[in-house]
Amino acid sequence: MRFFDPHIHMISRTTDDYEAMSKAGVRAVIEPAFWIGQPRTTLGSFVDYFSQILGWERFRASQFGITHYCAIGLNSKEANNEPLAKEVLEILERFVLKEGVVAVGEIGYDEISPAEERAYVAQLALARKHDMVVMVHSPHRDKKRGIQRSLSVAAECGQPMTKLVIDHNNEETVQDVLDAGAWAAFTIYPHTKMGSERMVELVRKYGPERIIVDSSADWGISDPLSVPKTAKLMLERGIDPAWVEKVTWQNALDAYAQSGQIDVAALQGTAVIDQRAIFGENSVLRGQSPRIDADKVPN
Amino acid sequence: MKTLPILLEFLGRRLDAEGRRWLETTRAELARGVDLERFCVLFSMASRHAPRRPLAPDAAELAAAQKSLPGWNPERWTTLEALRAALVLSRPDLESEAAAQAVEELFRYADMGELCAGYKLLPHLPKPERFLWRAGEGARSSMKAVYESTCCDSPYATAHFDGISWHQAVIKALFIEAPLWRVSAVDTRIDSELARMALDLADERRSAGRPVNPELWICLGAHAGARGLAALERELASGPPRGRAAAALGLARAGARERLQALVALEKDTFVHRTMTQALAGDCSSRAWAALDPSVAGA
Repeated sequence: MRFFDPHIHMISRTTDDYEAMSKAGVRAVIEPAFWIGQPRTTLGSFVDYFSQILGWERFRASQFGITHYCAIGLNSKEANNEPLAKEVLEILERFVLKEGVVAVGEIGYDEISPAEERAYVAQLALARKHDMVVMVHSPHRDKKRGIQRSLSVAAECGQPMTKLVIDHNNEETVQDVLDAGAWAAFTIYPHTKMGSERMVELVRKYGPERIIVDSSADWGISDPLSVPKTAKLMLERGIDPAWVEKVTWQNALDAYAQSGQIDVAALQGTAVIDQRAIFGENSVLRGQSPRIDADKVPN
Repeated sequence: MKTLPILLEFLGRRLDAEGRRWLETTRAELARGVDLERFCVLFSMASRHAPRRPLAPDAAELAAAQKSLPGWNPERWTTLEALRAALVLSRPDLESEAAAQAVEELFRYADMGELCAGYKLLPHLPKPERFLWRAGEGARSSMKAVYESTCCDSPYATAHFDGISWHQAVIKALFIEAPLWRVSAVDTRIDSELARMALDLADERRSAGRPVNPELWICLGAHAGARGLAALERELASGPPRGRAAAALGLARAGARERLQALVALEKDTFVHRTMTQALAGDCSSRAWAALDPSVAGA
């Protein structure tokens, strides 16, 4: 099978992870801009971070036959440093229009503070200006209220629900998101958020429409193989394979291809890995023989 | 500048109706004057209005380009790069300090595609020496595509780099396997220091049991000396066919014509033989390395 993991922070992962993802059939990923585990202190840190996920990280992914897209935005946590947030919001338009940026994201609420709301509204306006998809991060604390507020503020700002993805859902929030007409994404995380077994039951109950599975793997304890592992469990537990394909591939593609930044035909084709391609002298290969794979990625 | 009318002609033949309309409106906007923010956004947004496809100039177009700026070869430009260059060249204030700052701002926020367009543009700007530091950044880049945009098919490095930058840029081409023979007029700036650096690199490669890049021999020119001639003889005696053909060109450039005549009489390899014959006929400029470049069709 092939998989689309539409939320993963590859900047924090190793080439071993890329290798494992490629072997497991992950063909495309979206790297949303987020915080880095601690707050940044200058605008330059944001500029270099955005440049890195759009540049070097995309190249690393390509060496494993994985197509790498980005979502660009000011995350909710750092929206609370308002002087810095203001500077970031001022330069954001320079990054959201770059090639392969499929959404404004991940944005939304963390503490559901007024500062977060100001940054969220400003970025929704940016998304409206360029008719972009929006990827929303939902808070850990007071999640249900946070998601309801994300939906209503987005609607007030004129964001079409078909171009709104609410992430990190659970059993308590999914109905609100589906009722609003938005896409409901689920992060499969060890210990917190959502486990694979619960995800199987959710798909059984709600069906595959507008449901998306992702890993959100980052620098914390997380699993970059969450999507293929969850697909496997769904199949073992008797979920219709067509449904499994929708929630682990097609829905993410349909949601984010609305950006016009995904070459769908190329992505549907066969992945070819050619590690001889180098990004300057900084090849990710350090002395080992290049893996040149004329065949498709093993599924 | 003479470049703009040529680029506009290229684009007129390649953009679709929507792209041509966008170019026209955007040029009008630039003529009225735009702030830094808008300038960067327009440079990015160009990707939505022009394909990344090769420009593929025909012979007449190539000749026109050469005539407008000797050393400029748009063979490896994309239509998108031509559009981005045309936008910048449409600013009415290009000679001003404000325009120089705006160009630098483009580089600061650029993704890889934008970097390539920016570096390709530098020799076409008025008073191009103003961008010497920026061009040095391009030549230091670890992204091969960025390096090539700065140094290859462009007169910039040869015309403006000081000795240190020039020598470093040439040796860097060998490290990252960028085509040195595509550095315009590279032959006009070969000196004994460059030859020494190249010979040190050849020794380093041989000590490590690694092959010598055939383009390294370009760097000897007429400055091979006894050490250079010995290194060339060693390559001719034990190198692979491409290396041996390149060493034969090196001998011709060093003026060792009689030695080459003796060697050609004994040569068994048809490819090396052909190269030797050409070299004896006087075809031993850096452009002769095109026939040894595996990335060039027919080489």
